[in-house]
Order: sequence, then structure tokens, then C-alpha cells
Amino acid sequence: MHMADALISPAVGGAMWAATSGVAAYSMKKIQVDLDEKKIPMMGVMGAFVFAAQMINFSIPGTGSSGHIGGGLLLAVLLGPQAGFLTMASILAIQALFFADGGLLAFGCNVFNLGFYTCFIAYPLIYKRLTRNGHSEKRIFAASLLSTLLGLQLGAFSVVLQTVFSGKTELPFGTFVMLMQPIHLAIGLVEGLVTAAVVAFVWKASPDILENVAKEKALGSISTRKVLTGLLIAVLLVGGVFSWFASANPDGLEWAMLKTAGTAELEATNKLHAVLSDIQSKTAFLPDYSFKASDSEEASAAGEEAWPVVNAGTSVSGILGGGLTLLAAALTGLTINMIKKRRKRAGFEC
Amino acid sequence: MSHHKLEVRELHFAYPDRHKAVNGISFSARHGESIGIIGANGAGKSTLLLLLMGILLPQKGMILVGDVEVTKKTLPMIRERMGMVFQNPDDQLFMTTVYEDVAFGPRNYKLSEKEVEARVMTALDHVGITHLKDRAPFRLSGGEKRAAAIAAVLSMQPDILIMDEPSAGLDPKSRRRMMGLLQSFEHTKLITSHDLDMIYDLCERTIVVKGGEIAADGPTVEILADEALMDACGLELPFALQNCPVCGSKAMPQQHQHSKK
Amino acid sequence: MSNISEALYNMRFMDDLARRNTLVHRLHPLAKLASTLAFLAAVVSVERYEISGLLPFFFYPVIVFALAELPIKPMVKRILMVEPFIIGIGILNPLFDQHIVMLGGVAVSRGWITFLSIFIKCGLTVAAALILLATTGMDRLASALRMLGIPKLFVLQLTLTYRYISVLLEEVGRILNAYALRAPGQKGIHWKSWGSLAGQLILRTFERAQSVYGAMCLRGFDGEYRTGDGQRFCTTDLAYMAVWVMFFIIVRFVDIPGLLGLVVTGGIK
Ligand SMILES: Nc1ncnc2c1ncn2[C@@H]1O[C@H](COP(=O)(O)OP(=O)(O)O)[C@@H](O)[C@H]1O
Ligand SMILES: [Mg+2]
Repeated sequence: MHMADALISPAVGGAMWAATSGVAAYSMKKIQVDLDEKKIPMMGVMGAFVFAAQMINFSIPGTGSSGHIGGGLLLAVLLGPQAGFLTMASILAIQALFFADGGLLAFGCNVFNLGFYTCFIAYPLIYKRLTRNGHSEKRIFAASLLSTLLGLQLGAFSVVLQTVFSGKTELPFGTFVMLMQPIHLAIGLVEGLVTAAVVAFVWKASPDILENVAKEKALGSISTRKVLTGLLIAVLLVGGVFSWFASANPDGLEWAMLKTAGTAELEATNKLHAVLSDIQSKTAFLPDYSFKASDSEEASAAGEEAWPVVNAGTSVSGILGGGLTLLAAALTGLTINMIKKRRKRAGFEC
Repeated sequence: MSHHKLEVRELHFAYPDRHKAVNGISFSARHGESIGIIGANGAGKSTLLLLLMGILLPQKGMILVGDVEVTKKTLPMIRERMGMVFQNPDDQLFMTTVYEDVAFGPRNYKLSEKEVEARVMTALDHVGITHLKDRAPFRLSGGEKRAAAIAAVLSMQPDILIMDEPSAGLDPKSRRRMMGLLQSFEHTKLITSHDLDMIYDLCERTIVVKGGEIAADGPTVEILADEALMDACGLELPFALQNCPVCGSKAMPQQHQHSKK
Repeated sequence: MSNISEALYNMRFMDDLARRNTLVHRLHPLAKLASTLAFLAAVVSVERYEISGLLPFFFYPVIVFALAELPIKPMVKRILMVEPFIIGIGILNPLFDQHIVMLGGVAVSRGWITFLSIFIKCGLTVAAALILLATTGMDRLASALRMLGIPKLFVLQLTLTYRYISVLLEEVGRILNAYALRAPGQKGIHWKSWGSLAGQLILRTFERAQSVYGAMCLRGFDGEYRTGDGQRFCTTDLAYMAVWVMFFIIVRFVDIPGLLGLVVTGGIK
């Protein structure tokens, strides 16, 4: 369920970064206010645990396939929602950096999808509520299962929204939703059961771990609830504005840049154009290679929405130019390599 | 030099599950003394050390370092004087490079970055691992990890060194190197171990712990040679004192030679 | 089990790359972080129908690869390993957008173009993230985060997670080995052991965290994370950053392959 950089637009990525940073800042504040410095090593080591535990295959009876541990809810239950959220963020950061699993721009999306819904929605609304009157094995099972399911459903829906608003894929909203939600229902069922089994075991072996977290008034008190609602509203607002923005202009950032710096840039291009045309008259090695069909095609293309590849003439030169660009990039790399090797052989430090 | 003195009076401690791990331990250590603490698994050695360092707080009894009692308030001062090397270096080396780890302590005592560097380099030099300073602790060998963990404690310039099983998990060469290192320290030392040969070489005095109580306290040579006591406490004579497997004579290996057949 | 050793190997591989000493490695982490983010923003903002606009961005990974002396084969392998996911989602584009356009005299479904665009973007963005780590390393990245004003305790926690991942991966590996030896022929963990296997590990992890906390306290940790001064930002760093950011802006707004193509085909009138 990790979002990749290639699938999101800067507007969506930025909005989710902002939302995630907001929640993280709030969580950090909360932990610091509680003066619970003991939490920090706990979060660090538990993050490493979840990272490693995600590699364990739990086989699903009667299917021959296997599922994994989720992480978000487990961390919320063992460490509390704020610490759980921050820990999830660390795990995702390391996955993004070391394994390119979810990108850096999409980092905000991923932390939100995998951390926020589990720690700040499913945990307080379902888990906390169901275990309000103390833990028992049955309650733990129901609470873990339902919370994981809800968290994952919300996360999956969030992925759909982010993808659709980013407009990089052609997947229609309805199709995507119909694809994502049922798949994540199945995944959530397994994740939920595994999480439930693990939480139940920890509760039986060492009940004080769960009870200490449950004692935290964090989410019971009004002030935090207020903060949370405020955050949610902010997120919805930011998300809403950005997505309107994004849907009106598939690439919102580009639009903003044009607004601010558009004219200057166009002039520069014109000048560059003139210089280049001068150079090319001397250097063009395919001077006649231009499809004369450009006029007629331009007319037919103009009828449609702005479609960058206008005619065969420019597109051929575009492909050629693209090829040359890649070639130039490769040559630059090779040259640097060669220079480096030569210098090394000559005994230079590089 | 009374402030290097360590005194433990009637210490009692039970874990939250009510298991009594330390049950009325008293002893005192003079400046510069090297004391071995031995006992079977679960005897309460590690718990005792954690109590000394104030990581656990006793239910009864008191600990005096110099003339200062170990309490929540005096902890920062106490911990500046006593350094503890953990049994598992992975628990102790929590930073991402050896340098950062060794610098962690001095920085917390708000030294200037220049002073920190000087201390780190001295400590690394002392244990002979300056070349590893930019390495990640989790990429080191067992012996190197142990050395780094000791350096991390030395950089705090403690007067008293406390070590939990410093030779556990080391290969013979690394163990030998570690022992040489410990021998070179002039600190007051408290060392727990199952490695009785190491205790034999390093400590002039030995305390035997059994079931959270002190079973014996005296000169190492006498205690380790007491076969009945060792057996009762779940221990064995050190190899150095066992019958020679070749000729059966009971003497220091370096003191007797086999007649070659 | 194999994916555990693979993950371990992967992390060590990246750590080793980051410990090299080249021009790029020596740069200030913030300069590299800023260049990377600028690169990502520029690449991701390229319109979905555009391919040629993406191509000049290849200069960045190629040049940094060469300057930082990164091994090409293993890195490209890592980049390609991420692509299947993108292909999985992007491959639907040609199905949903069958609008035909002419490209170089060939009729192409527009879906294929957007698919290709996503594919290239994925390669570029993944390369940029891996390059950042392989030339900077986790420690210096963490110090960059601190300089950016990210709360120190969060950075400390991130660092701890990174530090203990290999310890826990090894531990999980040992447990899985022990399980497999006594449960031959099982593909995963039987449901009866779900809770106890992972639960035991959690309990042990909690104990370890307590020891770590104890070790931190013994060395004066009081909730404040104190760090060194960190590297100084000098003109080379500024220059590196400025050159790349400028390059990305130019490349983003000037269609270089198009112009290049026009130059060689004589299309400029
Ligand atoms: N965290 C703990 N909680 C409960 N009991 C513990 C804990 N740590 C140790 N114990 C118990 O206390 C006793 C002493 O343990 P320890 O001091 O570690 O012994 P040693 O280091 O001599 O092997 C043992 O019986 C052990 O099971
Ligand atoms: Mg012990």
C-alpha cells in the first residue's frame, strides 16, 4: 500500500507532507509534555521490531498463502497513539531510504495512510472504546480485528483519493475503489487476526504493558480531542483546497509557477530559440528531415485539448532530441568516470 | 581518597513480580580494589550491579559512593563517578557510529565539543580502537563491540568501573586482550563473571552470591580454591586450580611441568 | 528467511556505499538533501503526457553516479526492483485511455505514453532517493534533519530504529530458523503460534529497550539529545546545490530535447 513518488503530483505530495508534519509535531509535543523520556528508546527499538517482524510470514489456515503484521495499530496499542504514529513515521522513512519502498515526496502520504488512520482514528474510536472496561481476550480480539480493518480500509481509500487527485494514472475513481477496498478487506482480516493474537499474548504474559498505555489519559481528555478535531479539519481543508486545485489544473504547481514567473521564462525561450536557430543553420545534420505535414495535422490537433505532441514533424525531432539527450547524459557519466580513473592511476586523490 | 570508596548496606530488592533477587547484601570496596562477583545464573549479580548504578532502586538498604548516598537526586553525580559496561554491548552501543556513542556521555555532561573530542579520542586510544571510530557499532566483531562499550564508559572518566560479564561471548584471543586491558586500569573495579579463570587473574578479592545473598567474601585465591563452597554455589574450580588433566597434580599450570614421556 | 538476509545485506550495502569518500560524499548533507528534493519536485511536476521533458533529468543520476563512484549494476537492480509495483498500477493506463495520438508518424494509444511517463518517473525518483542515502548515510542524514529543526527526540528515535533494525532482523532470523527446523514443510508460521512467536519477541524487545534506556541514563541522558556541531556549510556545498537546482529549473521549463531535435532536423525557422 506504499505510495510511490511517480504516482503523485507535487500538490498532493505537499499537502500530505503538511498534514503529516502537523500530526507529527502534535505527537512530539504531547510526548515531550508527558516528559516520558523513557518512551524514546522504547519507540526506537519497537520501530526496529515492527520493521523486522514484517518479514515474518504468518500462514493463513486452509489457503496456502500467508499474511503479515501491520504495525500501525500494534504500535498504538503498545506505545500509545502519538508514539505509535511517530514510530511508524521512522519505519517508513527507513523503508523509503534504504529500499525505495514508497518515495520521499510520497512520504507524507504513506505516513498518513499507514499511521494516522490506525493510530488516531481506529485506535481511539474502536480499540480504546472496546477495551474501555478493561482487557480480556475476547475484547482484545474484537478490538484489534475491527480496528485493523477500519484502519486499513481508510488507508486504502486514502490511497485511491491521493492517486486520483494526482492524476498520473488513468484509473477511474470507481474502478480503483472497487479494486482497493475488497483487497484490503482481505489483507486487513489477516493483519487483524495476527495483531489480535500478538496483543493477546502480550497481555497475558505481561499485562502491565497494555495497561500502562491504556491508563494514559491522552485521548480521554477534552483538550487532546479538541486538538485532534482541529487537526482533522485542517487536514480536510488543506486536502480539499489542494485537490480542487489539483483537479482544476492537473499539475497545480506548474500552474502556480506559470502565474508567477511565466512571462519571463517565455521570453527567455524565445531568445534561446533565436540563438539556437542560428547555430542549427550551421550544424544541422539532417536539414531536410522535417515532415511537411505539420500544417494539416496542426489543425486537427488544435481541436482537441492541449496535447503537447502536435505533429509528426516535431514528434520525430522530439524523439531524436530525446535520444540525443540520453546519449549526452551517458557520455557525461562516462567522461567523469574516465577522468576519475585516469586521476586515480596518476595517484591523485579523488 | 575516601570518595572512591563504595559501601553497600543491607540491600534488598524484589522485581515487580515479587521475585526477591537481592536479599540483604552488604559489602564495601576500598579505593583501587578489584573485586570479582561470582555466582550461578540467576544468583542476582546483574541485579546487584543495576542497583549500584541506580537503574533499579532498592526497597531497603543503602548504597554510598564516597560519602554520597545513591538516591534519585544524586544520580547524575553518582553516574559521573561510576561507569558500567553492560553484559550485552548491543544494549549499550545505541548510537550509529562508535564515535557518536563514545561522545554521548561527555556531551550530556555539557562539555565543549573540543573537550568531548579529546575525551573520545583518549578513550578510544586507551582501548586501542581509534581506527574504528566512524564504524557502525552493529558492524563490529564481538571483541570490538566490547572494546567500544568500555571506551563509551571510559570517556566519562569514572573512578569506579563496573562490568557485567565482560568476557562472555568472546573468543580466546579477544578474551585475553580484554583481560590485559582491564588489568591496565587503575580504577576500582567490580567484575561479575562465570569466567572464574579471569576472576582468578584479575581480582584480588571475590564475593560469591547465591540466591540474592552473599555466600562468601574473601581473597580470591582462598575462595576459588574452596571446592565445597564452589560446588554449593553452582560453580566449579577454575581450570587453573583443577587437577592437571595430564599428570593429575594440583598446581598452577605455569608452576609445574610434565615429565615428557 | 531469505528476505531477512536480503534486507540485512541491502542495508549493509547502502551503509558501505555511504562510507566511501568522494567529492559527493564529502558534501554537506543539507546540500544533497535540498538537491534531491528539488529534483523530485521537478520530476514529479512534469506533465503526464510528456516523455521528452523527463529525459534531461537523467543527467542528474548519471552525473552523481559517476562523481560518487557508485556501482551501476547493483544500484540499477535496486531501482528496477521497485518498478513492478509501478507497472502493476500504470499498466492499466493503456486500458483506460485508448485515445490514439500520432507520435513520429506512428499511432500510439495515449495510455501507453502516460504509462511510460510513470515508468520513467519511478526510475528517476527511486534513483534519487537511493543516491541520497548512498552518498550521505543515515547518520549524516539525521544530522541534516536536526539542522532543519526537526525535533531532536524524533531524530534520536529514528536513529535508534535504524540502529536496532539489524539486531532485530538477526533475532527474527534466528527465531524463524529455529521454528523452521522444528516445523519442516510449513510455509509460514502456523496460526497456533502466531501470538506466542511474535509476542515473545515483543517482550524481549521491551526488555532490550529498557536496557538501552538504562544505558542512556547511565551516561547522563535526561530527555535532552545533545549532538556535535555537525559539518559546516561551505561554498562548495552552496555551489553544488545551486547548480543542480538551476539545472532542474531550466530543464523543467525549457524543452531541451525538443530544441535539440529541432536543431538536428532543421525545424527551427
Ligand atoms: N526484569 C526482571 N523481572 C523479573 N525478574 C527478573 C528480572 N531480571 C532478573 N530477574 C530475576 O532475578 C533473579 C536474578 O537475576 P540476575 O540478577 O539477572 O542474575 P545473574 O546476573 O546473577 O544471572 C533471577 O531469578 C531472574 O530470573
Ligand atoms: Mg547476569
